[in-house]
Amino acid sequence: MTLAAERLLRVFPSSGVPIYRQLMDQVRALLLSGQVRPGDMLPSVRAVALGLEVNPMTVSKAYSLLEAEGVVERVRGTGMRVCPPRSGLPARDRVAGVRPLLEQVGAKAQQLALTRRQVREALEPYLKGLTE
Amino acid sequence: MNAACQPVEVRHLSKSFGTKPALTDVTLSLAPGTVTGLLGRNGAGKTTLIKCLLGLLRPGAGESRVLGERSGDLSPGVKARIGYVPQEPVIYPWMRVRQGIAYQGAFYETWDVGLTEDLLKTFELDPRQRIGALSVGQLQKLAILLALACRPEVLLLDEPVAALDPEGRRHFLRVLLDLVADGTRTVLLSTHITSDVERVCSHVAILKDGKLLQMAEMDELRGSVKELRLAASRPLPEALPGVPGVLSYRGGGSSAVLTVQGDVPAVAARLQRELAAEVTVMDLSLEDVFLELHR
Repeated sequence: MTLAAERLLRVFPSSGVPIYRQLMDQVRALLLSGQVRPGDMLPSVRAVALGLEVNPMTVSKAYSLLEAEGVVERVRGTGMRVCPPRSGLPARDRVAGVRPLLEQVGAKAQQLALTRRQVREALEPYLKGLTE
Repeated sequence: MNAACQPVEVRHLSKSFGTKPALTDVTLSLAPGTVTGLLGRNGAGKTTLIKCLLGLLRPGAGESRVLGERSGDLSPGVKARIGYVPQEPVIYPWMRVRQGIAYQGAFYETWDVGLTEDLLKTFELDPRQRIGALSVGQLQKLAILLALACRPEVLLLDEPVAALDPEGRRHFLRVLLDLVADGTRTVLLSTHITSDVERVCSHVAILKDGKLLQMAEMDELRGSVKELRLAASRPLPEALPGVPGVLSYRGGGSSAVLTVQGDVPAVAARLQRELAAEVTVMDLSLEDVFLELHR
């Protein structure tokens, strides 16, 4: 299935966030929410550029960076296909994905003089969906 | 054509009107596939630069080339590959729209009749109307149509949307993106509407008082100008002497807001360390960046 660009993606040119990053964030969000599934094709660069009225190079840049991250893969002559989640990587590498966020939590908790226990308790509800 | 030469090359270009300098030592080159937004206040030299590129004005010093040929003596063959929308289009007023299109089309080998028909519909122009009776906005739409219909390799647009309504502007942006989608055209677009530039442009050139203040990729420019917000438990200084790249600073008390150009993470880290402040980096819109660079 190929996704309709103008229905799923939106850009806000003056929001301050570069447009290529807005596109990347939205593709990732669509994946997380299940609106986009592994095996789906992303709309072509041209379709996104014309549909959202943005420069095609901006769309290409977003797609290439998503490819580098392993979120999508380039299928010759067809376009960009959404990859299955990369559970094949060692846990150590996958943990690297949350480390920057955890560092922020740690720094902020220190500024607010929270205890370890308070932070663990606050984090708990967000880990519900995980296995032991 | 020199292989190292880009479709648009400007080297040390200067131009004065009487004793008043309009352009001073401007150097830039535009690569195929790029759309460059040309920004600047009124009188910054945008129109002068575009007219010099077309050979409509003779530079005082330096030179410019389009598609490999000097702007002053462009051959008919190269002129046929350039599209131009002037700020104030002049098209024979006694012709009807359809006649005006046929007349201009006769000069071009690559004239796309199908495209002219599409654009007449998109822009809601009546082919039977006299050109002299068109509104300013309709005349601008016709000028855009005439510039695009030869599918130009180089497209120079001097405030093409100034007279268009929001819908007309959106139509224009879509038509422009359709043209550049093959990645081979070179577009220079002067405008005051920064949100359009953010949408359709890959690069930004900023002129200030005739000098080229910035020529950068859009994301590079926006990555290099940021707003920093400081919060500290101790009073912050009234000014920040000696910190490089600070464009503006509003401080006092326990919080301050400043804009920085250059190596933003390095400045943020330095301020965090030296002022013992919590630093938050905020993205700026292109309009904010433009205004900050003009302080």
